[in-house]
Amino acid sequence: MIIPDPLLAKIDEAITHYPVSKRSASLPLLHLWQEHFGYIEDEAVAWIAQKLELSPINVLELVTFYPMFRRQPAGKRHIRICRTLSCAMAGSYRLKEAVAKAAGIDLEKWRRGDSEAEHGDQEHDAAHHVHNAGHGNPIAVSEDGNFSVEFVECLASCGSAPVAMVDDLFREHVGPDEGEILIRQQISDATRKKVLPPHPREKRLVFKNIDRAGWTNDIECYLNDGGYEDLKKAFKMKPEEIVDEVKRSGLRGRGGAGFPCGVKWGFIKRGGPKPIYLICNADESEPGTFKDRYIIHQDPHQLIEGMIISCFAVDAHLAYIYIRGEFPEGAQILEKALAEAQAKGFLGRNVFGSGFDLEIYVHRGAGAYICGEETGLIESLEGKRAYPRIKPPYFPAVLGLYQCPTIVNNVETLCDVKHIISMGGTGFAKLGKPNNTGTRILCVSGDVVRPGYFEVEVGSVTMGELIYDLCGGLKEGRKLKAVIPGGSSAKVLKAGEKYKIKDKELTLEEIPMDFDTLAAAGSMAGSGGVIVMDDSRDMVEMLNNINEFYAHESCGQCTPCREGALWMKKITDRVLAGGGTEQDPEVLKNVADNIAGKTICAFGEACAWPTQSFVLKFREEFVAKAKKLAPPPMPPEYTSEELIEHPTIETLRDVRTGSPLAPAATK
Amino acid sequence: MSTEAAAAVQMVNVQIDGVWHQFPKGTRVIEACSQAGKFVPRYCYHAKLSSPGNCRMCLIEMGTPKLTPDRKPVVGADGKPEIAWIPRPQISCAQDVSEGLGVRTDSPMVQECRKGVMEFLLINHPLDCPICDQAGECRLQEFSVEYGQAASRFLEAKVKKPKNVELGPRVTLDAERCILCTRCIRFMQEVARDDVLGIVDRGSFNTIACHPDRILDSNYSLNTVDICPVGALTSTDFRFKMRVWFLKETKTIDVNCGTGSNITVGAREGVIYRITPRENNDVNGVWLPDSHRLNFRYVNDPRRLKQSTVKGQSVDWRTAIAIAAEILKSKSSEQLWLVASGRQTNEELFLTTRLIEALDMQKQHDIVPRTGQADGLLVAADRNPNTSGARLLGLCTTKPGSRFKKLVDGVRSGTIKVIVTLGEDLTRTGLTEADLARLEAIIALDILPNQTTAHATVLLPASAWCEKRGSMINLKGRLQRLNRAVNPPGEARDDWEILRDLVQAVAGSNGLYMIEDVFKAMAAEVPEFAGLSLSRIGDLGIQVIKEKAAPSEEATA
Repeated sequence: MIIPDPLLAKIDEAITHYPVSKRSASLPLLHLWQEHFGYIEDEAVAWIAQKLELSPINVLELVTFYPMFRRQPAGKRHIRICRTLSCAMAGSYRLKEAVAKAAGIDLEKWRRGDSEAEHGDQEHDAAHHVHNAGHGNPIAVSEDGNFSVEFVECLASCGSAPVAMVDDLFREHVGPDEGEILIRQQISDATRKKVLPPHPREKRLVFKNIDRAGWTNDIECYLNDGGYEDLKKAFKMKPEEIVDEVKRSGLRGRGGAGFPCGVKWGFIKRGGPKPIYLICNADESEPGTFKDRYIIHQDPHQLIEGMIISCFAVDAHLAYIYIRGEFPEGAQILEKALAEAQAKGFLGRNVFGSGFDLEIYVHRGAGAYICGEETGLIESLEGKRAYPRIKPPYFPAVLGLYQCPTIVNNVETLCDVKHIISMGGTGFAKLGKPNNTGTRILCVSGDVVRPGYFEVEVGSVTMGELIYDLCGGLKEGRKLKAVIPGGSSAKVLKAGEKYKIKDKELTLEEIPMDFDTLAAAGSMAGSGGVIVMDDSRDMVEMLNNINEFYAHESCGQCTPCREGALWMKKITDRVLAGGGTEQDPEVLKNVADNIAGKTICAFGEACAWPTQSFVLKFREEFVAKAKKLAPPPMPPEYTSEELIEHPTIETLRDVRTGSPLAPAATK
Repeated sequence: MSTEAAAAVQMVNVQIDGVWHQFPKGTRVIEACSQAGKFVPRYCYHAKLSSPGNCRMCLIEMGTPKLTPDRKPVVGADGKPEIAWIPRPQISCAQDVSEGLGVRTDSPMVQECRKGVMEFLLINHPLDCPICDQAGECRLQEFSVEYGQAASRFLEAKVKKPKNVELGPRVTLDAERCILCTRCIRFMQEVARDDVLGIVDRGSFNTIACHPDRILDSNYSLNTVDICPVGALTSTDFRFKMRVWFLKETKTIDVNCGTGSNITVGAREGVIYRITPRENNDVNGVWLPDSHRLNFRYVNDPRRLKQSTVKGQSVDWRTAIAIAAEILKSKSSEQLWLVASGRQTNEELFLTTRLIEALDMQKQHDIVPRTGQADGLLVAADRNPNTSGARLLGLCTTKPGSRFKKLVDGVRSGTIKVIVTLGEDLTRTGLTEADLARLEAIIALDILPNQTTAHATVLLPASAWCEKRGSMINLKGRLQRLNRAVNPPGEARDDWEILRDLVQAVAGSNGLYMIEDVFKAMAAEVPEFAGLSLSRIGDLGIQVIKEKAAPSEEATA
């Protein structure tokens, strides 16, 4: 195998980014390899393993886990189309067909190939090693090898759906029939500005520079606007004072869980024998959420400034930005920005002559949603499959990256730190509401006239204002049916329902968009991704799309989620295909119940909550599609295919009542 | 636990299903439950491996002491702290007990969790129990009966995965049966230190695999089969050979090296089908090398010696012993030599010393050394299982085989005319076949034909290690017991009986009727065995020689 020198140089350079463990360089090396050779064979796996002093299985585990890595060549131009909810609602399934048609790809052929692969590859079965096509949506390649198309999960730009990637270039607002345009044009929308000015109800803090006229993402522009002044201010403070300011600000994590940031920082014991690390979680991937993308692409220095301040506060001298693999342009922008900051002396040895050293590196993921879970992210950064860790004992603040104290914060959260330094903790706490301070970037997608992002003071707008005022309401002649308020894992809220919050009864439209109220309404503010569904939507279809996402993204480490997520998806698949049975709604709910709260990480809840809430709130739609009588004990000769095909299914009946037999009693 | 021990180890109070117990600090909750008689089912947890907490079978309810606002425990009416229960179930495999911890192992929530996990584990499982080698010792089967449900609600197509995959020369994978507990992966990383197993693909398609460049060919690979809780990993050697419930299991010890790993022999109707490790934390933990566990086929070799012979003619035992005694008594002591074996049991070695004394051949004996490479785990450099016993009983010097030069010289000079060999091929001592032909007589006790038995004047067919009782001392000085798993073939007899008869024929009656008598006589003479009997050795053995006293170059386990 011949490795060209420039590639070798890049590989050696990448390894230096991980002074603690070479293994961490696994993902970067796989990316470099695939960029150069197009795909990753077993031989490449062995080469990389040897380079990093690993066992080859350590690397094979990664290639088969992270969907962005390919073990077969793709077309010369590879098109990734987002399959997930908001894009699907905007026509991404049609877009995929259109792309295939324009590129001369026979999707049917590849679909068949996939189903064969799923049924066990005979050649592989006989060999020592095995791996089936499994998790990946298959890559379909055109006859001439010029194009390939792949359905991928959420590309985190739900507000401009449907979206796609042409090689590394991001494309948004692609019309469902614009296959031809998509594959021929080599342009990027990554830093394209929105024409609309901020809405008057907005309070632009973190998003101040997003879409700003004359704004660029380079450091001069940032410095001219007063950039890095807060950093200078912070370096005149004691680190403990910064932590206190953040505590005083009441800032809650913007990644999804809403954990108080200052409290998290407070868990770190400074001055211990182990180094402290800080990781920026830029693995934005909760469907419906698309805020970090804009910060990274348009205002990277804001994030870097916030990160440096945070590192100084928690005494971290090595930090990583874990950016999702689907943001290759974002990674480049961040790397450029870091180099600029380094050149200005904001990074590196002896920042501002303070004696404080700091290195920040960009680390790219490779298409796995689970890397957003902080301990999964840490495992991934250590060069492993992103299996979340058990807590206890592996709380990141104690046993994080390389078993050292580690802070993992979301992009938006770290940006907020900069503003807390600027306006003081008390000043920041004045924004929003008590216990729900600051601003929140709400990302709206789905069936509204003007989907997009809106930075508002937390709780300053209601759901109704968000939909009807900020987003211009629903499409012509449509009525609101449901809203997922905090990313696709958040429980769905049904229009027309009354929510009892404290002593008040609120309609869906009256719910203020803050952490506590949404929690009290039985859902969550989560990552701020609001997905709006109008009365044209089939709720079983909506849930099926979400189920497919979570089944695809389950890491498979622990039993309930690994088995349950795919089971739920298979049930909704069958129901949609016309094979619904009367017990399906109950089984769906029960399967979800058996996952939530029983798993290693919060993915269990994330994949169970949609099913629990959709079945609970839209039961009639599930029942309407689940007419067949096939409760257990079902005649064993019926397969799921037969259930779909047969108009009715006769099962054993109770001789006395004539109704289907109840499930056999358990002991 | 005695009060002295309690003082040494800090004890904590733990409430398990309403009853308060005390456990030493550092006890895993799952182990504490077991000790309290409340078994918590588990798949991924293994006491000798790290805890990934992935199977979720050991979910229980836990709680910590309820605290007052000033963080003092709230004490209930019974004087014990009240417990604040955590609303979510918790895994019990990754957490140690702590003061005032509360545990519920059988609450409705726990029962629901187990039922749910069992269902999840079975939906994609092939349920091919009738033809599965694990059937009968499968945790999926066992916990299904105990904690599962009878009906299946799964109407979908199962996930297809590779079957009949050779992960290495000795281990076969059925990925559809696998529950992805990762015990095998962790064993290879943490114990065998050969990181070859991993998981490929993702989610429900997760599959155990190797990279083609590094397969599962470690000498410890079959331990993954032992710890696989289901039928995913099976022994290529054992699979489809025998239903496990037909196996008669015998506790004994391995004789392939001086480690003396504890094993279980599984046999049916006189045929051994498999050997598996038996837990002994002072010896082998719960592991066993593949080389050792698969080395049993020779026991059923059709060439096994089954008939006592004199000069090639079949004779009965009485005649064979009598002729052997005659030969020995007819020579002066300097014309005799005895080659003993480090594979003999202590009882056999003891009777051998009686024979040596009776024939006054105190310095004309030795054992054949066997050495190889130690692996730093369980394979010792000394491949004789009982060198320590031979040394203790005076059958060899500290350097086994050091007297063989004298033997060879004596045979070649014509001084030595008769050799007794107890299970050793004399060509291993440096003698050639021509030397053997020059001897007046060879009295050979053995189980399989070799160059020596071909020249034997008197041939005494004996028993293999798994066909006899007795004791051995491993390299760390631990006295352990062999037990009979199968009967010796044909007319072959127990070695100790042959030796006893020979000693009797040479020196007269000695009052030894049972092997227990031999041990008793030995215990009366050897201080290390004082107060012991075969039964007192127990299944796990007893330390009889201080570990430091054992020669370090061989003690590697």
